[in-house]
Amino acid sequence: MKLQVGRNELLSALQAVIGVVERRQTLPVLSNFLLETKDDELIVTGTDLEIELESRARVQNIAPGRITVPARKLFDICRGLPEGAEIQLESTADKATLKSGRSRYSLACLKADEYPAMGQVADGRSLTLKHGQLKAIFERTQFAMAQQDVRYYLNGMLLEITANRVRTVATDGHRLAMSEVTLETGFKEATQIIVPRKAIIELLRVLEAGDEEVTLKIAAGQLQADLDVVRLTTKLIDGRFPDYERVIPESGDKRLQANRELVKRALGRTAILSNEKFRGVRLQLENSKLVLQTHNPEHEEAEEDLEVNYDGGALEIGFNVNYLLDALGALTSEEFVMELKNADSSGLVYALDDPSSKYVVMPMRL
Amino acid sequence: MAIRILPDQLINQIKAGEVVERPSAVVKELVENSLDAGATRVEIEVEQGGLNLIRIRDNGSGIPREELPVALQRHATSKIQNMDDLERVGSLGFRGEALPSILSVSRLTLTSRVADASHGWQVSGAGAYENEEPKPAAHAVGTTVEACDLFYNTPARRKFMKAESTEFRHISQFINRIALCRFDAGFTLKHNQRRTLDLAPADSEPEREARVAQICGDDFVRNAIRIDEQRMGLSLQGWVGLPSFARTQADLQYLYVNGRAVRDKLLGHALRRAFADAMHSTHYPAFVLYLELDPVGVDVNVHPQKTEVRFRESARVHDFLFGAVHQLLRRQRPEPEQHHHAHFAESATNMSVQQPMRYATPSYSSPSYSSSGYSSQNFSARESASSVESLWAASNATTPSLQESAAEYPLGHALAQLHGVYILAQNNTGLILVDAHAAHERVLYEQFKQQLTHGGIPSQALLVPEQISLDEEAADALESRHEELRRYGLELDRAGPASIIVRAVPPLLAGQDIATLLRELSSDEDRRTNTTHLGEVLDAQHRIMADMACKAAIKANRRLTLPEMDGLLRDMERTELSGQCNHGRPTWVQVDMAELDRLFLRGR
Repeated sequence: MKLQVGRNELLSALQAVIGVVERRQTLPVLSNFLLETKDDELIVTGTDLEIELESRARVQNIAPGRITVPARKLFDICRGLPEGAEIQLESTADKATLKSGRSRYSLACLKADEYPAMGQVADGRSLTLKHGQLKAIFERTQFAMAQQDVRYYLNGMLLEITANRVRTVATDGHRLAMSEVTLETGFKEATQIIVPRKAIIELLRVLEAGDEEVTLKIAAGQLQADLDVVRLTTKLIDGRFPDYERVIPESGDKRLQANRELVKRALGRTAILSNEKFRGVRLQLENSKLVLQTHNPEHEEAEEDLEVNYDGGALEIGFNVNYLLDALGALTSEEFVMELKNADSSGLVYALDDPSSKYVVMPMRL
Repeated sequence: MAIRILPDQLINQIKAGEVVERPSAVVKELVENSLDAGATRVEIEVEQGGLNLIRIRDNGSGIPREELPVALQRHATSKIQNMDDLERVGSLGFRGEALPSILSVSRLTLTSRVADASHGWQVSGAGAYENEEPKPAAHAVGTTVEACDLFYNTPARRKFMKAESTEFRHISQFINRIALCRFDAGFTLKHNQRRTLDLAPADSEPEREARVAQICGDDFVRNAIRIDEQRMGLSLQGWVGLPSFARTQADLQYLYVNGRAVRDKLLGHALRRAFADAMHSTHYPAFVLYLELDPVGVDVNVHPQKTEVRFRESARVHDFLFGAVHQLLRRQRPEPEQHHHAHFAESATNMSVQQPMRYATPSYSSPSYSSSGYSSQNFSARESASSVESLWAASNATTPSLQESAAEYPLGHALAQLHGVYILAQNNTGLILVDAHAAHERVLYEQFKQQLTHGGIPSQALLVPEQISLDEEAADALESRHEELRRYGLELDRAGPASIIVRAVPPLLAGQDIATLLRELSSDEDRRTNTTHLGEVLDAQHRIMADMACKAAIKANRRLTLPEMDGLLRDMERTELSGQCNHGRPTWVQVDMAELDRLFLRGR
C-alpha cells in the first residue's frame, strides 16, 4: 500500500475513530487501526468487537492495499506533525513507513486478514434524520444511562421508533430521561432497540448540530449509523428495557413552575454542603415558595429561599441533588415545570413550552 | 433376613463407629472421664500414635469394686441419674457409651482404687466383657485405663488410620484443647516413651497465662488482649489475639462453652463478624475464649462428640459474643508498651557482626567545599545569622514540648517521612514507623462509618421496583423484618408467595447486586431466625465505604509536613481499630530503643 494525504485530513479521520480503541488490550490486533484504500479514499477502521467505527479521508498517489497499524501511535504522530504537513504512507510486509518532510517513522503491522471487521449490516430497515435531531435527543437523555449496572440492559439507551416519532429513553433505576423528535419514519410497527452506552458516547462525538443527514440501519442485533464521513456499527444490547411509560407519572396535582436557571444555580450552591456520598437535598414547597435545604456530617448547612409559581399545598420531599441538576441542565427553556404528588412519589420535570423531553426523578428518604 | 435384636457386642461396635473414630477419640473419652472423677493429675501415655497403646492414669475418685463390671456396660454412667440431670449436665460426659465402645474395639484393662479401699481391683476384656470377677491389683487411689491394639477386631477401620504422626497430632491437639480449660488439673503426655508435654496444675493467674503461652506460643500471649465481660447472665473470659496477629490457618482458635470445647457455626460466625473489619478475609483470628452461661440455656446432647451445642436463645448468645469481642477490639488504642513490636534482633546481630567494615569506611570522596565556594554565595552574614538564630529558636521551642508530650501521646511525634511512604515518629519507648496510607485509610473508614449511621441511612426509591424470587420461607423471613431493614435503607414488600419487591435501596448500594445480598441474608435457617444477620446490609455498605476510604486516603509519595503527620498520629490514637488498615495490614510498628541498641551492639 502506498498513499499520500494531508495531515489535517488524516488526523480528522483518525480522531473520529480513536475513541473506540481501548487503551488496554489482551488481543493485540484490537489496538490497531485497519487502513484500507478504495478508489481515492483511505478507510480507517477501529473496533472493540462491540462497536466498529469507520472514517474516510481523501488521498492521492494510491497503490491499493490493506494494513493494520498501532492506532494510538499513528494518531499521536499525526497530531504531533505540523499543521498542513503532507504525509506519505507506505507499507512493506510487516512495516508501515510514514514520511513527512524530514520525519520518518516506521510502525509494526499485524496481518490485515486477522482484523475482526464487522462489515456491512445486511437487509435492515433504515431511517434517515438530521444530525441536529439525533444529537439533541441523545444529549438530553444520555446522562441517565447506567454505568456497569448488574442490570445490563440499563447500560445503554433505548431507541424507540414508531410511525411518526423517534424517542430515546435512558434510566439507571433511580431516574429516567426521555426525549423525542417528531418525523415521518416510514416504520409501520414500533421498534425498540437498546444501544450500548459506549456507542452513544462515540456517536455524540461525531454528531454535529447541523442539517446533514444521518442514516440509521437496524438489523437483527446490530445498528449502523451512516454519517457521511463516519460510519458506526454496533452490536445491540439483547434485553428487555423496563416498561418506561408506566414509570412516567400521570400529571401530579402539585405543580411547580419556576425559572430554570435560577433553580439550577440555587441547587448547585446547596449541593456543595450536601452529604457527598448521598447527595440528598430537601425541597420544601408552600405558597409560591421553594426552600432548598442540605446538610452534611460536618454539621454544615445550606438553605436557599426561592420565589416560584406554586399553589399545591405544603409538601416536603427529598431528592438526590445530582439527578435534579442533570435534568435541569439538559433542558434549554427559560421556565420549567415540576409535577409532584407526595413525598414518596416520583417527580416529573419538563420544559414549560416544550414537553418533548421529560425527566422522572425518584425521591430519596432522608 | 428376619428382623432381630442385635447382639450387644455388635451394638457397641456400631456405637464405637460414632464415638471412637480414631485414637484421639479414645483419649478424649478417657481423659474426660478422669476429669469428671475429679482428677488433678492426668497422665497420658500413647504408643505408635495410640494404635498400639493408650494408657490414661489419674488420681481421681476411683471406681469401687462392685461397680467395675457395670462400668463396662452400655449406657452405664454415674454422671446423670434422670431427665433433670440431663437438662443441666455439668460433667463432660454423660452418655455412658465410652468404655463399652472402646472395649468393643480394643483389649481393655480397667484398674481402679477408691480412697477407703486397701488395694485396687482390675477388670479386663477384649472386644467384649466376659463377666469375670474383678481381680485384686496394686494401684494408688484413682483409675488407670489401658487400651491396647485399638481396632484389632475391625481391620477395615484400622486401615483408615493415618500415619502415626498424624494420629498423635490429633491426640496432642486434644490435650492442648482440654488443658486450656482445665487449669485445675495437671497433664503429662508421653509418646513412644518420650515426654512431649508437662503441665502442672495452674491455680494462679500468672500460672494460667504461662500455660496459655506454653500451648499457644509466647507470641500469642504478647499479642493478645484479656477479655472479661459479664452481661445478662452470660460471661466471656479469655484472650483475644490482636487483628494484626492474624493466622493463615484456623489453628489458634479455642472456644469453650461451659468448659466444653466446641466448634459451633453460630459462635464462629459471631467471632468472624467481630473481626471482619480488621482482618483480611483469607486470615483467621486467634483466640482462647471461655463462654459461661446457665446450663439450662444450652443443649450439649446434639452431637456424639459434643463439639456442637445448641442454644436456647441463640441470638442473644451470638449478640453477646459478637458485641463483647467487637467492642474489645474497638476499644484498643495504640499502646506502644505492649503491642506492634518489630523484632529484628537475631538477624540484625548477625549482620552487624559479619560486616562491620562496610559501615566503617565511609567514602569522603571529594570534600570540595572550599572557603571561597562559601563566600561566593553573596548573602549578608547578618541575614544568615538571624535566620540561623530563628531556626534555633524554633527548634528550642519545640524540643521541650516534644519531651513533655511524648508521654501524653502513645504514638509520639513525627520526625520525618521516609521515601514518601512511612512516617517516622519518636515516643518514649523509641521509634514508631507508620504506613501513612494504611493509617489514613483506617481513619477515613471509621469516619465514614460514623457518618453513615449518624442521622439515619437515607434510601433512594427505585424507578422500577426490583422483583426478587426467593423460596417462600426466605420471603417470610425478610417480610417479617422489613422494619429493621428499613433502618438500613432498604425498603421491601411482599410481592407473592415466593417473591419480594425491593422499592428503595441505600444510595451506596445503588448499582450493586441487591438480589444476591438478600438471598444471602435469608439463605438458611440460622440466618432467618437470627436478626443480627440483618447487619450484613450495613456491612455491605461498609464494604463500599472501605473502598471509598482506600481511594480517598493519601497515596504514596504525597509529601507530608510535620504538622500533617502529627495530625495523622493523633487521629490514629483516637480511631478505633487504628492498628490495622481495612484489609488487615498493620498500620504501625514500634521499634524499642533496646532493639535499636542491640542493632548497634550498644551496652553489651
